Amino acid sequence: MIVCVAVVGHQNNPLYLQSFTEADDALKLHHVVHCSLDVIDERVNNPKRNAPTLNETFLGLLYPTENYKVYGYLTNTKVKFLMVTTDLDVKDADARNFFRKFHAAYVDAVSNPFHVPGKKIASRSFGARVSTIVKSFGSGTTV
Amino acid sequence: MGREVAGSCLDGVVMEMVSAYCGRFYAAKPELAAGRIEAIGFQVGHQLSERYTMDRPRFTDHLEAIKFICKDFWSELFKKQIDNLKTNHRGTFVLQDNCFPWLTHVSLDPSMESTDATESDPALLGDTAAQTTSMLLYFPCGIIRGALTNLGIPCAVSADMSNLPACSFVVRIKT
Amino acid sequence: MEDYPEELRTPPVPLVSIVGCPELHASISAALSIQQPPMNTLALPDFSKANILSRTAKNRDPLAPPQAPSGILKKDWLLKHRTRVPAAVAALFRADQVSGDPAQWLQACSDLENLKSIIQGRHSKLVVILVQAQAGDELGEEVTVALRKRAEIDSKNLIVLVQNDETERNKSLLKLMSVFAELCSTYYKEEGRRIKARIEKRNFSSVELSVRYCFKVAVYAEFRRDWPEALKFYEEGIRVLREMIGTSTRLPPAQRLVEIKAVADQFHFKISTLLLHAGKVVEAITWFRKHIRSFERVIGSPEVAFLHWEWFSRQFLVFGELIETTSTTVPDTLSPRFGTADNALTEWEFQPAYYYQLAANYLREKRCALECSSSGANLTGDNGIPDSIMPSVYVGQYVRLFEQGDTISVLPLSDTEYTSYALSEAERFQDSYEIIALFRKAYESFQSLGGTRMASSCSAGMAIEYYAAGDFSNAKQLFDVVAGLYRQEGWTTLLWEILGYLRECSRKLNSLMDFISYSLEMAALPLFSDRVQSFSENKSKSGPAGWPTISRREDIQEEVVNILERKHTPEVVDGEFNLQLTEDNAHLDIDQISPLRIVLVASVAFHDQSVKPGSPLLVSVSLLSHLPSPVAVDQLEVQFNQPDCNFVMVSTEEGSSGLNSHFHGQVVQSTSLTLFSNKWMRLTHEIKSGQSGKLECLSVKAIINKRLVVCCQAESPASMEDFPLWKFEDQVETLPAKDAALAFSGQKLIQVEELDAQVDLVLDSNGPALVGELFVVPVTILSKGHAVHSGELKINLVDAKGGGLLMSPRETEESETHHVELIGVSTVAGDEVSKDEVDSIRKIQYSFGVVSVPTLGVGDSWSCKLEIKWHGAKSVMLYVSLGYSLDSSEDAALHRLNVHRSLQVEGKIPMIVGHQFLRPFRRAPLLLSRIRSSSGDDKKDSLAMNESNMLIVSARNCTEVPLRLHSMAIESDGDGMQLCSVEQISGISDEYAVVAPNAEYKGIFSVNPRAINPNFYLGEICVNWSRDLHLGENEDSHVIMKQRLPEVHIEEPPLLVSIECPPYAILGIPFTFYVKIHNSTSLLQEIKYSLVDSQNFVFSGAHNHAAFILPKTEHTFSHKLVPLGSGSQPLPRITVTSVRYSAALSPPTAATTVFVYPSEPKFNLEKSHSRSDECVS
Repeated sequence: MIVCVAVVGHQNNPLYLQSFTEADDALKLHHVVHCSLDVIDERVNNPKRNAPTLNETFLGLLYPTENYKVYGYLTNTKVKFLMVTTDLDVKDADARNFFRKFHAAYVDAVSNPFHVPGKKIASRSFGARVSTIVKSFGSGTTV
Repeated sequence: MGREVAGSCLDGVVMEMVSAYCGRFYAAKPELAAGRIEAIGFQVGHQLSERYTMDRPRFTDHLEAIKFICKDFWSELFKKQIDNLKTNHRGTFVLQDNCFPWLTHVSLDPSMESTDATESDPALLGDTAAQTTSMLLYFPCGIIRGALTNLGIPCAVSADMSNLPACSFVVRIKT
Repeated sequence: MEDYPEELRTPPVPLVSIVGCPELHASISAALSIQQPPMNTLALPDFSKANILSRTAKNRDPLAPPQAPSGILKKDWLLKHRTRVPAAVAALFRADQVSGDPAQWLQACSDLENLKSIIQGRHSKLVVILVQAQAGDELGEEVTVALRKRAEIDSKNLIVLVQNDETERNKSLLKLMSVFAELCSTYYKEEGRRIKARIEKRNFSSVELSVRYCFKVAVYAEFRRDWPEALKFYEEGIRVLREMIGTSTRLPPAQRLVEIKAVADQFHFKISTLLLHAGKVVEAITWFRKHIRSFERVIGSPEVAFLHWEWFSRQFLVFGELIETTSTTVPDTLSPRFGTADNALTEWEFQPAYYYQLAANYLREKRCALECSSSGANLTGDNGIPDSIMPSVYVGQYVRLFEQGDTISVLPLSDTEYTSYALSEAERFQDSYEIIALFRKAYESFQSLGGTRMASSCSAGMAIEYYAAGDFSNAKQLFDVVAGLYRQEGWTTLLWEILGYLRECSRKLNSLMDFISYSLEMAALPLFSDRVQSFSENKSKSGPAGWPTISRREDIQEEVVNILERKHTPEVVDGEFNLQLTEDNAHLDIDQISPLRIVLVASVAFHDQSVKPGSPLLVSVSLLSHLPSPVAVDQLEVQFNQPDCNFVMVSTEEGSSGLNSHFHGQVVQSTSLTLFSNKWMRLTHEIKSGQSGKLECLSVKAIINKRLVVCCQAESPASMEDFPLWKFEDQVETLPAKDAALAFSGQKLIQVEELDAQVDLVLDSNGPALVGELFVVPVTILSKGHAVHSGELKINLVDAKGGGLLMSPRETEESETHHVELIGVSTVAGDEVSKDEVDSIRKIQYSFGVVSVPTLGVGDSWSCKLEIKWHGAKSVMLYVSLGYSLDSSEDAALHRLNVHRSLQVEGKIPMIVGHQFLRPFRRAPLLLSRIRSSSGDDKKDSLAMNESNMLIVSARNCTEVPLRLHSMAIESDGDGMQLCSVEQISGISDEYAVVAPNAEYKGIFSVNPRAINPNFYLGEICVNWSRDLHLGENEDSHVIMKQRLPEVHIEEPPLLVSIECPPYAILGIPFTFYVKIHNSTSLLQEIKYSLVDSQNFVFSGAHNHAAFILPKTEHTFSHKLVPLGSGSQPLPRITVTSVRYSAALSPPTAATTVFVYPSEPKFNLEKSHSRSDECVS
């Protein structure tokens, strides 16, 4: 189950952060997402270790912490997507698929002429679409 | 995603936008009009680059990003690629389009300058037809700048019009 | 990691035992311990001690049904095998013990028997060592055979040790080693196999035994250094153990879990150590993940959940320490994501810091659980913790000692008993410090790895622990740093949490200002969640501030307001803490980098870019606050760098007149000064600045709730930065000013121009100045528009060619060397006034002067004259500046107006004075000095003594104006007068002579020296001149120009040639021409004389002569000449050569010219005329 998704801008500022959990750990998820930015920095800035996947937008598992696993995605436009899940076994393909859909939703949201680049995404339709994507995660259905 | 728009319609919209800004909104201040048109292009480029880079790996260097602009991005916009790319390897790139679609409807006839065959009325736009045509290029300059900026490459873009409908865009990357 | 017993932490080392011959033990055990692999030695001095090797007799009835074991692992089992159960035992016998005395032999045999029987139960291997003193001591074959038979060992297990021969001894020791090694290996293999067989045959009664067997097999494998086997069985053991959780019922559930986890801990430690030591980092991490995953949900009952978290934290800590001690680096050869795609390993998992951080997190979890449990336990009352609870012999079990008289029995515990025991034990520890230490370790490590966010997360963890432990100042310090990062990156929710802690810290530290500023910042954060969280543990999870919602923000703002208004909120009152405003005002400064900019920002823009002084000036002050509730500003004070411009706006609603009584500036009443959230409050005010220069708005002070003074640095809209945090909000941004131009390019500073000076300053100058004269520049000040008060005229002379000063620095001391000098300033009004004015000239230097100007009314004028004297030809810039104020008050004195004028004046030399000496007419003295110094070095003129020489002085006017020449004289000093008389022959006949531009005036003097002097100083030429002006001007401005004549050489000529001829001749009429040569010496002089033909004359007489002239006599030649041409004709040229001095003398051509008239002239004054003509030419 995905418990949290986030979009983080160039300046590492949160553009969108939504948690999908009944438990009272929303703040903790903020911390988890924020800390995972370090891993993204590390992966992007010291890429020699992972040469084959150097330019892939999907960054894979960033780190597991406590009950969570954090997955990351970095677009060409230096926007970071993060997904926190509590699933123990996450299929790489599922994560990729999720991010692909998430990215598409993001692109549609920022292509809104009323959206100002670099600002938080407040669009309701984006939120609704993200919820759908999150719900369908791992179930194999497509949005 | 691929929503089709009639090319001629789009050409017409671009022309009309330029003429509206130059002729009506900022008739007295061509440099302000140029700035506005460039800014519109910037936003368009910014958003389009977001979309067109969606399914591709990240660019490792500037050249790769420029190549993307020349090939895929240009193809998406104009159904053709940039014809020639030159660089001094120190942050300046010259993108040459031998037949830039938005200039194909423009002809400069020195002898008949007053009765220019452009859709936009040259008398409104400025003194010479050449100036009018250069106005048309602020929009694509803005698009290129917007796209590159969004890809993390701050730059300045200027256009150079040699003999119609060829033109070249000069990208100077800010370091 | 230090918590583990030694035997668990180090790899097992095989143990052998040696019995007998204690003197050899040291060398043998030393040799064994340095073996590779080493062996430990259990040395027993004699056979009687061998009993300790024996197995404790268990009188188990073999027929009884196998009893279920009461625990999984015995604590001392491993230690026993490492220290007390040797794999092989060596019995040492001296050779003489077994070869000679039968009694001894029997003793040896019985010892051996005894030993054999002891080790029988252990399956230990036996070695017999025969110790020989010398290599040569042959032992009988039968002895060794007998011994071997007794011992029932192979021949290779009987070793002869030669004691005294080193090489032999080493050899036999080596042999012993290999025998031991082999026997150990066999022993452990056999033991392992034996137990393995039980596992394979599932020949065990309970699952506990299965785990135990796995452990044993693995340990035996470790003894043999068979790591893969060891690993396999450890893993098998832990797998079985995990399965046991659900199945075992032996103990009450809580204790059962504790035991299983304690055992699992040991297994985990072993597995991790084995993997890491083998360099299999990836496997180790994968294993660890698996381990964690399989146990993370096995929390047990809530009362003892803290035990789980403690255990869990320990797993991470231990693994982190293991990784740290094996100093693993992430292997580069690994595949990019270190594992399968679906189960990738990540960078941080290779870092110990990652595990420390998690260990700290879980320890925190433990503390929470513990707090819950202990609060629950306290409610039920103290239900008597049994006194004598101690760990049992089994790993992870606790029992109760029960004393009844002398017998002490061990009783099992109930879960309740155990729980309260564990609680009481746990409460004895201060977890906070351990958590802090773990976080600090992680923090430092992440910091060095460049993981700043991870590091701050650890830092926040530390701070929260400090906070929990009551160390508020430490906590505050750490929180402040963390808050910085969140502010910078715009993570408002996280910032909210941290600020909530900071707020509480300042509350606890009783720091009111901090409390207010943190509260205000929190209230102004862009958080809009309206989700109301009703979870009870909300507070612990989201910090003391609770979950960020708009209503919480409003509450916080309300709280600040209450404090300011000295109202007590119930929340504040009930605690021991009571924040009170001690001073009258709380002061808060907000600058451009302050995080409180979101609380209040002031943008100030002038509507113009520059303004004339005194004219009205519009300034817009805009205030914006992001506080959620409206803020009522009582008073707004806008401060400028010119305090006169300051003004205050007072809200009429409040009407707090007491606050501004001290204020001097403008006070404006404004209807309402209420700031609404995120809306600019725009105020426009008109001010006047009387002072020129920069006018800048410095700050805007807002007084809120009467006591809070918020001082905002004014910001220009043009250079205003985005609001921190709010800039990321997707909101419509409003502009500080309605006018877009002002909002984008308004500036908080304005240039106040200078007043236009309505005063004329006129400099008049008539042409170039002449060197020497007192050049006068009239200066006129004419007031046209306003009065001039305390005016001051500054005069400055500067070299026009640049360089500033008119003199070189070296010359400053000598006034003569100034090229141009300001002599004085005089007013025109009249003599008596000028007297006063002289006093008022405050300061005049050579090139600088200051003159005070009297007060002038409108329309008045005042003028003065600058007198400047040029000492040399120089072009000079004359700068005159008038500084004055508009009225005589003190204030105005500070603010002066200035008028500047400048004028370039050329300095010119008026006259060039030259001079020329002429010989006496037609008398040519032989001047020896001239002849001798023919080289021409000495340009000195030579004059003949007692002759009247002519001096012609010429003065050429090189100016463009006519000059008057009043006199021309030669002034000599008194001495020279007597030695040489200088008389003016022709002078200025009138009062003066006017010399036109470029004209020349000549004066003629006769010089009659009377003494011989090689360096005679004739005197100075004094020329007295003035400008040729009209009458009534500059009557007395004569200038005397002096020029020193060069020194002359006066000598007495030995010969003097004089020519006599008539003043004129008439064509064709002969006349006589005499040449007289006078010898003034007392020597006979021989001379030669020659006459050259002239085409204009025919003459009689010889061309050449020679003669002797007697001393003091004169010799005369005479010729008759007939002129052939008219006009001025040169006479035939005469050359007189003195043989004595070998010097030729010929009179100058000028002196030997005669005018030939064509016929007899008819005039009277012909004599004087011809004479003056001669002079001129």
